[in-house]
Amino acid sequence: MDAEILWFGWFRADIIQEYGALFWSGLRMTVGVTVVCILQGTLLGLVIGLARLATARNAVANAACRFLLRWPATVYISFFRGTPLFVQILLMHFAVVPLFLNPADGWLISGDLARDLRQDYGALITGIVSLTLNSAAYISEIFRAGIQSIDRGQMEAARSLGLSHARAMYHVVLPQAFRRMLPPLGNNAIALLKDSSLVSAVGLAELAYAARTVAGAYSRYWEPYLTISVMYWLLTLGLAWGVRHLEARYGRGDSR
Amino acid sequence: MSTSSRLVACVVAVAVVAAAGAPSAPAQSRPLVVGSSATYPPFAYENPQKQIVGFDVDIIKAIAAKTGVQVRIVNTPFVGIFASLNNGDIDLIVSGVTINERRKQSYDFTAPYFEARQLIAVPAGSAVTTLQGLNGKKVAVVTGSTADDIASRAFGKTSGNIRRFDTTPLIISELLSGGVDAAIGDNGVIAYRVQEHKGLKTVNDPALAKDYFGIAVKKGNTALRDTLNKGLAAIIADGTYAKLYRTWFKAEPPVLPTQ
Repeated sequence: MDAEILWFGWFRADIIQEYGALFWSGLRMTVGVTVVCILQGTLLGLVIGLARLATARNAVANAACRFLLRWPATVYISFFRGTPLFVQILLMHFAVVPLFLNPADGWLISGDLARDLRQDYGALITGIVSLTLNSAAYISEIFRAGIQSIDRGQMEAARSLGLSHARAMYHVVLPQAFRRMLPPLGNNAIALLKDSSLVSAVGLAELAYAARTVAGAYSRYWEPYLTISVMYWLLTLGLAWGVRHLEARYGRGDSR
Repeated sequence: MSTSSRLVACVVAVAVVAAAGAPSAPAQSRPLVVGSSATYPPFAYENPQKQIVGFDVDIIKAIAAKTGVQVRIVNTPFVGIFASLNNGDIDLIVSGVTINERRKQSYDFTAPYFEARQLIAVPAGSAVTTLQGLNGKKVAVVTGSTADDIASRAFGKTSGNIRRFDTTPLIISELLSGGVDAAIGDNGVIAYRVQEHKGLKTVNDPALAKDYFGIAVKKGNTALRDTLNKGLAAIIADGTYAKLYRTWFKAEPPVLPTQ
């Protein structure tokens, strides 16, 4: 047994040190998953947000927009915002992913490759897919709100100058909307960072997993959970600072 | 917060602290709260009627009946079960808890009530025959369990090859879906789960030491521990224990050490 190292007379620093490698790799995993999911979630969220807003003047095209774009987007958003993320993660890991990725009879990949993928990246795949799908639902609503908050005159003016709908959206509406979307996007990123802890339930070795492992091994709770609390807190402070920085940079146009 | 409500909050806080500090006699006025993680058949699990049943539950009920105490079983997730004992949310743990040196430093245990071994579950075609044969392979265990301890010692506590989950059903699911090469757990539970699933088999590594399950109480609560020990000795002496053992494990009970 290693020597006990006590901080302030009660904090067993030695057990954190002993599992240091797990906390360190856990920190990198948490940051990595969060960054990847923010980027993917933003892209997917933009697509879904635009799908939710799709309209057309032609009656047939509009009906197509409704059933092929607006409807699926609405159902998607409703499902991912209306069910607990924790449930989505368990469903994904133990039910959905094994359908596609199964050594015996995967729809997408089967055989040894499926086994290797599942063994080496199973929890990571679950984590990235679940968090991306979930955050995309929230982000799409941020996009929709941002786009709808821009006065319709902006689009009309751009269109009357001869820009196509897509170009007007890209050059005129989205840049203005993006400024208003920054604060909620920042909040969403912070929420995503914290929610990534839920993926520890399927064995993804991120920060919360490290804490659970230590708590399980020592039946001590202050040390591991306080340690990761501080780490999460520092990460969210850093994210908040980054978002403020972006707001100051891209929000300049508003403060004329 | 107004001054008066702050005052009220202070008074409440002081009262709570005082109540927590008061000596808690093993009074019969309230039933003893028994923490058990009910995802562990046949030791403790929820039946379709939402009752917690199993060998552990029957043992503690038999002990309670013998010693004349009241018990109430509360389903407590294993990850937080020792914290619940420390907090005073529960008075004792009967949840297939293995007695080991590390736990004995922090909690008091009764005499053993079950002889356990660690059993390895693998796919039927697997060539693994020992724990060491799993070196370099992916292994699923329940966080903080004896199997976690064994795997941590054999493969390194921060090894990425150890996959930790909250419950035994999850490690079996992970094994079934090909996420790991093996799952390790207590014999009673692993054998029970493996017989449910074709395509899995168990591997018994004789090198894995015997363990014993005990009932855990808060460190220093010797009064409760002694009561439980007396009850346990009594149900072993009168044959109740053997009857329950046969019911749940379809086998003859081993002779248990009394310490």
